[in-house]
Amino acid sequence: MVCIRKATIDDLLAMQTCNHLCLAENFQMKYYLYHILSWPQLLYVADDNNGHIVGYVLAKVEEESNECHGHITSLAVLRTHRKLGLATKLMNAAQNAMVQVFGAEYVSLHVRKSNRAAFNLYAETLGYKIHDVEAKYYADGEDAYDMRKKLKGKQIHHHPDHGRHVHGHHHEHGGGCCSSAEAEAKVSGKKETKAT
Amino acid sequence: MGASLPPKEANLFKLIVKSYETKQYKKGLKAADSILKKFPDHGETLAMKGLTLNCMDRKSEAYELVRQGLKNDLKSHVCWHVYGLLYRSDREYREAIKCYRNALRIDPDNIEILRDLSLLQAQMRDLTGFVETRQQLLSLKPNHRMNWIGFAVAHHLNSNASKAVEILEAYEGTLEDDHPPDNERCEHGEMLLYKISLLEECGFLERALAELHKKESKIVDKLDCKEQEVSLLLKLGRLEEGEKLLRALLFMNPDNYRYYEGLQKCVGLYSENSHFSPDEIDRLDALYKSLGQQYQWSSAVKRIPLDFLQGDRFQEAAENYIRPLVTKGVPSLFSDLSPLYDHPCKVDILEQLMLKLEHSIRTTSQYPGRAEKEPPSTLMWSLFLLAQHHDRRGHYDIALSKINEAIEHTPTVIDLYSAKSRILKHAGDLAAAAALADEARCMDLADRYINSDCVKRMLQADQVALAEKTAVLFTKDGDQHNNLHDMQCMWYELASGESYFRQGDLGRALKKFLAVEKHYADITEDQFDFHSYCLRKMTLRAYVEMLRFQDRLHSHAYFHKAAAGAIRCYLKLYDSPPKSTAEEDDDMSKLLPSQKKKMRQKQRKAEARAKKEAEEKHEESSAAGASKSGKRHVKPVDPDPHGEKLLKIEDPLLEATKYLKLLQKNSPDSLETHLLSFELNMRKQKILLAFQAVKQLLRLDAEHPDSHRCLIKFFHKARSMATPMTDTEKLVWSVLEAERPTISQLHEKSLTEGNEIFLERFKDSLLHRAAVAEMLYVLEPDRKLEAIRLIEESTNNMVPKKGALGPVRGWKLKDCIEVHKLLGTVLDDNEASLRWKVRCAECFPYSTYFEGSCSSAVPNSAYNQIRKSSENGSADHLEGGETADSLASNGRLEAFKDLTICP
Repeated sequence: MVCIRKATIDDLLAMQTCNHLCLAENFQMKYYLYHILSWPQLLYVADDNNGHIVGYVLAKVEEESNECHGHITSLAVLRTHRKLGLATKLMNAAQNAMVQVFGAEYVSLHVRKSNRAAFNLYAETLGYKIHDVEAKYYADGEDAYDMRKKLKGKQIHHHPDHGRHVHGHHHEHGGGCCSSAEAEAKVSGKKETKAT
Repeated sequence: MGASLPPKEANLFKLIVKSYETKQYKKGLKAADSILKKFPDHGETLAMKGLTLNCMDRKSEAYELVRQGLKNDLKSHVCWHVYGLLYRSDREYREAIKCYRNALRIDPDNIEILRDLSLLQAQMRDLTGFVETRQQLLSLKPNHRMNWIGFAVAHHLNSNASKAVEILEAYEGTLEDDHPPDNERCEHGEMLLYKISLLEECGFLERALAELHKKESKIVDKLDCKEQEVSLLLKLGRLEEGEKLLRALLFMNPDNYRYYEGLQKCVGLYSENSHFSPDEIDRLDALYKSLGQQYQWSSAVKRIPLDFLQGDRFQEAAENYIRPLVTKGVPSLFSDLSPLYDHPCKVDILEQLMLKLEHSIRTTSQYPGRAEKEPPSTLMWSLFLLAQHHDRRGHYDIALSKINEAIEHTPTVIDLYSAKSRILKHAGDLAAAAALADEARCMDLADRYINSDCVKRMLQADQVALAEKTAVLFTKDGDQHNNLHDMQCMWYELASGESYFRQGDLGRALKKFLAVEKHYADITEDQFDFHSYCLRKMTLRAYVEMLRFQDRLHSHAYFHKAAAGAIRCYLKLYDSPPKSTAEEDDDMSKLLPSQKKKMRQKQRKAEARAKKEAEEKHEESSAAGASKSGKRHVKPVDPDPHGEKLLKIEDPLLEATKYLKLLQKNSPDSLETHLLSFELNMRKQKILLAFQAVKQLLRLDAEHPDSHRCLIKFFHKARSMATPMTDTEKLVWSVLEAERPTISQLHEKSLTEGNEIFLERFKDSLLHRAAVAEMLYVLEPDRKLEAIRLIEESTNNMVPKKGALGPVRGWKLKDCIEVHKLLGTVLDDNEASLRWKVRCAECFPYSTYFEGSCSSAVPNSAYNQIRKSSENGSADHLEGGETADSLASNGRLEAFKDLTICP
């Protein structure tokens, strides 16, 4: 039984472990702290009620440019917990908070060109569009799609059920997306927080 | 600053400071040198030059210069401030605080120094000092928002939440009515929520709620605002309003269990232990049925009723819940159901249900009572579910036959191999489990999760070298071959540390355990930058929570494991210090020729491996040197990659004491903490500390076999001590004399009697019998045979259970291994230990440890027969212990490296 809720500070170590298990792009603890201490509203976890974090989304808001927008730093769901629609639920929760709290115009993310499962989740289930291709974005030289989705103008309190059609569709197609959907690699946890 | 200098030099001095701030160290150094040419003794310049050099990795010169500068100008706050900054950069916060305080004595209102001091005080949790400094900052600059907030937070941290509220309200009093401007709305909203949470913390619930309603329009984070309101309403007993709000929250997120819990509280249907009367169950059932209609997309609303329903209604609900998930092939279904296994009646119902579904699908391709045909995959998923059920119940043979059937049915589903690997692990065949996990891994090389799963199994099977080679397929980071350590991948470091420890490689084990310890020190350090950051960002609730999290950081499970692991290494190191080469040669000569040959082979292998590793390292570093980015981010080479230096430590017990203190402070309720304290203090001859450990063990769990062991061993040792001579010895003696009667397990009884009574109470438990036997032998070595008999007369009682598939045996594999080791080491009886092994091999036919007939340890086991005929290349993993070499030599791994596409 998986509970979708906002992450607390006490979840961060488990989120880091979940990230290590699932994804090749990892971060040091300071980067998680940076996120939760900057945008506490944008971190969500899937908690299996047995003390395990089985999925999370880590997101932020870029305020520097003239247009405020959200960015998905990292999203992961354990392979053992696929086909439950967790990735979709986590993403919807983070996106809603981006609009509601920060008035974000759009949300962006990076995904490996080769990661079809994650790409399908973003493109088909969640409505992201390819905005650009970033050559050699990842440490191993792979390109990334820079994907974006418009947020404003959408209903603020987006009801999860509204996504049902697309969602069901996603599931009928195997739903493999949730396992290694991830975003943004370059930071790799070495990025210094802006705090000094 | 630089006041005593003529104008030209004074300007140069400003340049040094500016260059330091903008990290243009070379420029700063040049400026410093030109001042020093004319004024070689100028203190502040010397100090600033030192600080600059510190940033250029010239530490010893830096300290020398700063100290020289200070000596030349003791009255300069700049020199003291610089000295403080130097200490701060080395994380010597206590020294840094002293320096700042000296600086402030000279220049009490220096805002920069006050601010730096306040950061250190927050970091060191010098809370009274923090409040004082923050107060001073506020009185110096009351027009800065940050100073108000900082003062309030300081009081809050210093356990004065109501004062913090007063300060925030005073701050609000300074604001215009139209505050906040658009660009500060988020921050202001956060401040308001912080204030409301402070009011709640003080118990001013009505005030908090009134404030929340009054300021609602200015609170940007509506979700948190609602959650805060619910919390207040529930505490105030205003349940109807709470219910309304919770329903609104559920509308936004119908998968948050806490909302359901809150809703149940509001309608008077909540119970801590889920015990409900039949009437309450009816009402709950009705509630969830209506919620289920509203939130069809919610998984929670479907799952929760399984927790409270009983009997036939449970069966019906479980069936309706399970069917569509089996059809859909949800791999986590079993783990979702597993909390229900705490209730034996529900387990039986689930078992019947799963068997019924399997039978129906198998014979008719339909669920019972349904007309539609199920797709073929439904049979496979129902077998998958049943296999996990039997695994949980300890019926490993049935579990394996179910999972094998599922694999035969659809050989392409990776989850089946992972499940089989897990069953084999539980059954005790670690090598086969690793091989299966590797097979799963090879089916999708781009999925790190199955890679991690495989690495975990390899480490459990003590194939560390192979595990590392497998793990690093995902850990390339630019030029870096392996970033597991840099990225704080602690589960891996712990698991490999434990494997090294099992294999007796204490150096490498320590290396890994201490690495984890280091990560925790770094995380503690991480908070430093946020002390000022959060005051600016106004994420005050998260900030305070973060500080509290940091205060209990070392109670986290990973740290506990790492510290316990390190202590065990040091104890072992103390018990058997590493031998010098001469001694090793001596040992060799005592061996039989065949053993010698084996030893030499092992050594040669190890040498070859080391050589290969060194070559790889070399290649890496030269590759890094030629990196195209030219940033030359060459990591310093670890001078002790195998932890050999760690083994040469002079006083292992002293090292162990460091980590024990952390455990005692942060995990005082863990049995393990006090077991380790007992072991350590007995070795250190710290009798009273060892006695403290015994008392803690009795407090936590007097019935635990290890608590019993420590109790008996302690008083046995105390009895054998020489008559006290010195005053200290006499004191210790008198404390023990006074304390012993207070221990209910002993009272006036002899130790042997205490041991017998313990046996009488727990005579049906294997581990308790083993503890009693061990203590019997410790107390009276000539009763060794009796002790061994006590163990051998243990019976593997059936746990009564009326299910369809027979009873479950009571012994656990792990416990039997422990007993086997006891027979072989402490009791030191080869024959008894062999008899035990034979007996356990029968109970645990899949156990490699006991060489059970079905395990991969037996060459002709059914398992190995299948493996041999299998075409899958992974089979060779099983042959021989050191699989890494075989893998590397046949080139497969190299091939994988090229093939692997990271996700």
